[in-house]
Amino acid sequence: MSDDFAVDEIDMSIVEQLRSNGRATNQQIADRLDLTAATVSARIRRMEDANKLRVVAVSDFSAHGYNVLMEIAIEVEGRAASEVVKELAEFPEVFAAHLVTGRYDIDMLVALHDFDDLSDLLLNKFSSVKGIRSLIPAIAADVIKYEFDVAPIEAKEAV
Amino acid sequence: MSQTVLDELDHRLIKILSKDARISNRRIANDLDVTEGTVRGRIKRLQQEGMIAFTAITSFGLVDNSRLAFIGVQAEMDKTKAIADKIAKLPSVNAVMITMGRFNILAFGLFNELDKLHEVASDQILAIPGVHHVETSLAVKTVKYNARIVKITDAHPPINGG
Repeated sequence: MSDDFAVDEIDMSIVEQLRSNGRATNQQIADRLDLTAATVSARIRRMEDANKLRVVAVSDFSAHGYNVLMEIAIEVEGRAASEVVKELAEFPEVFAAHLVTGRYDIDMLVALHDFDDLSDLLLNKFSSVKGIRSLIPAIAADVIKYEFDVAPIEAKEAV
Repeated sequence: MSQTVLDELDHRLIKILSKDARISNRRIANDLDVTEGTVRGRIKRLQQEGMIAFTAITSFGLVDNSRLAFIGVQAEMDKTKAIADKIAKLPSVNAVMITMGRFNILAFGLFNELDKLHEVASDQILAIPGVHHVETSLAVKTVKYNARIVKITDAHPPINGG
């Protein structure tokens, strides 16, 4: 991520305003920060064009019918972890997949509509991926805090 | 979990707004062939029900080279909720869930220095009474990440859109 794109304090204060309300108008943000609406608009566009910022609606897992959330740590054996993770990432149930340091090799966040989906995921999907030695799940019973507002940003889709 | 049932129009609206939240109600109304009032009403309802929230997502490395860290906590069962609430209050912790598995609590945070992760895991969290064990792991490479579908919690209430 070491490119030469730089942000200053004004950019960051605009981002803070957008984090708390992504639908605030340029004028509302400008008034709050003592800027002009044109400045706010130009700065947002600059960060968006550089794929550093997206102002979006995030939706709840339950809005999509996902009622089971679990984190799964994976031990890999006999195969490159980077290959295993790529295959796992293709499954739509896998919402996040990372290569990690420590006792396990891969960490994933998996969402299911309900527990009935578990057998299909295990028996038909994960079992087809070579190199998984063990899967160690942690089933989310309660989510206390979830504020992932920093993420890899994909290039902007053509609208 | 919420019992709210969303219809097809809700899903189409969410799809549009998940690409760009700053698009005007008028344009959404045009695209979906409904009135602006319908768009406004739907957005308000979805926000009130905690189904959507409008926010800014910034790229990893916009400000510093933060890395995602996983902090697993083994704690006394009867203190789990209280400990999870305490961990959620730590500013560098982005997410906390109570889990059934190898940990009672799983926390996630973004750290730009290993020192800082160590301070949070081994000084702050380990020092909470009832915490028995803390394990950390760092994401070296993120292969997939869906930032658009999240858990909207009370700790991060949706704020009314304009």
